Amino acid sequence: MADPHKPRAPFAPWDRRELPGLFDVEESARRIGNYKWAEMKLFEALGGWVATVPELDVKMRLGTHCYKHAWHSELWHKRLPELREMNPERLTQPANEAMVRFVEALTEPEAPELTIEKLVGVYRVFIPHFISAYTFHKNNTSQITDAPTIRSLNFILQDEFDDWRDGEMLIQSLIETADEVDRAAAHQATLEKLMLEAGGIAGHGSIGGATSPSVTAY
Amino acid sequence: MRTFFPVEDLARDDRFNQITMRDRMGDARSVLTSGEAAGKRNNNRLTPSRKDASDAARGLMHGIFVGEIQALEGAGRTCFDFETGTEAPFALKLDMARQAWDEARHVEISIMLSNWMGTEIGQYAENTVLFEAACSSDPVLRLAGVNRALEGLAIDVFTTMKEFGDLAGDPYLEFCEDWMLADEVTHVKMGSDWLRRLTEHDPERRKKALEFQGVVDKLFSYGGTRSDSEESPIGLARRFRELAGFSDVEVEDIAAVSREALDERKAAVARMQAAATLAGA
Repeated sequence: MADPHKPRAPFAPWDRRELPGLFDVEESARRIGNYKWAEMKLFEALGGWVATVPELDVKMRLGTHCYKHAWHSELWHKRLPELREMNPERLTQPANEAMVRFVEALTEPEAPELTIEKLVGVYRVFIPHFISAYTFHKNNTSQITDAPTIRSLNFILQDEFDDWRDGEMLIQSLIETADEVDRAAAHQATLEKLMLEAGGIAGHGSIGGATSPSVTAY
Repeated sequence: MRTFFPVEDLARDDRFNQITMRDRMGDARSVLTSGEAAGKRNNNRLTPSRKDASDAARGLMHGIFVGEIQALEGAGRTCFDFETGTEAPFALKLDMARQAWDEARHVEISIMLSNWMGTEIGQYAENTVLFEAACSSDPVLRLAGVNRALEGLAIDVFTTMKEFGDLAGDPYLEFCEDWMLADEVTHVKMGSDWLRRLTEHDPERRKKALEFQGVVDKLFSYGGTRSDSEESPIGLARRFRELAGFSDVEVEDIAAVSREALDERKAAVARMQAAATLAGA
């Protein structure tokens, strides 16, 4: 056994984490407030839709996914005070006005014949944008100073990928005609344009590029 | 999508046949049958020794299945219908989302158990009264009507079905009912906790909620389906109700309402029998 008193390097050779990160505390909190707002809107919509879809398998899946997104919003709610935001509601906001319009358009379908539209909005538009915003955050925040956020992102991303796969398989199983392919594509395009305007879950700069003014590199 | 979704619009596939409480109350057939129709038995509790045990258990399981669907829909709607903060606390909505997941699992379990018992989806009618109780415009009334009254009934039903599985030598049924029972105790406790928290400084609102719960309890005691008496198919699970946050007084109140409903139904059956005798004379 090695001498226990012999000095060892504080970081093991296999520990390649880095200190620099793209977000300061304030920017991280802002993004997390946007995530919480969006996850809340998603779990509310999924819950509301359960009664409106006649397909039993879809009904059960929406109920299951409703909880997952509620749990994500809870994780973000708990993270906000750790980022110096003692009033989490203050930052629980949509990224911008276009994001509000996106959610309104997402939740518009109600009729029992519109299950494809409901699922397309969630699993082909909203959740893919969550995955990209979360992935950008995970890969660009400080791996040491923001480790608690990264831990939550890892849990949440696992859920998002699982749910995206569930939803995509449901959509593929529901689409049986060329007209339905067109319906799905048209609804996706409508929502995607609104999301483009919004710039993503956390607004413009959700996945880099046009960064918001408070984003600085260290 | 609208807030406050009407019961008439609940979405179902073609296998389902929905009826209202009015339809059910107008049905001449009853859970509590006369001595002759029930094969001269004076014990109506759902046990394997009953001549109609298999069919009664299958019917009850289908009732559980559709009840779980409506409970899922009700919990989901509470997530959507109320604005967070101003109309319903964030934490309450998180609880309702959790309940939606639990109810979704219960639907899955009920489908598998129904299949195990030889029942097809839609073989029995679906009474939509559970969702009706989930349509109140006040979230506290929903919690009182659904989480405390109806989920409380679910505690009684699952306890009876668990015992049925045990007596019938069906560990599969007993195992599943035990797991669902654990969830239901959690849901009722959730309802009890939120009712107390949200009405702590509003006695009038609490009174209204408890009155609504009483109405739902009475509605579901219709025909003496559930009571302490062995004449009722479903017993009152006092111990699990205690765990779920019911006080002794509350349990006694439900027992009294159930007993009253049983007596009312027996009197109605006696009147019908007397009228039939007179008509035949």
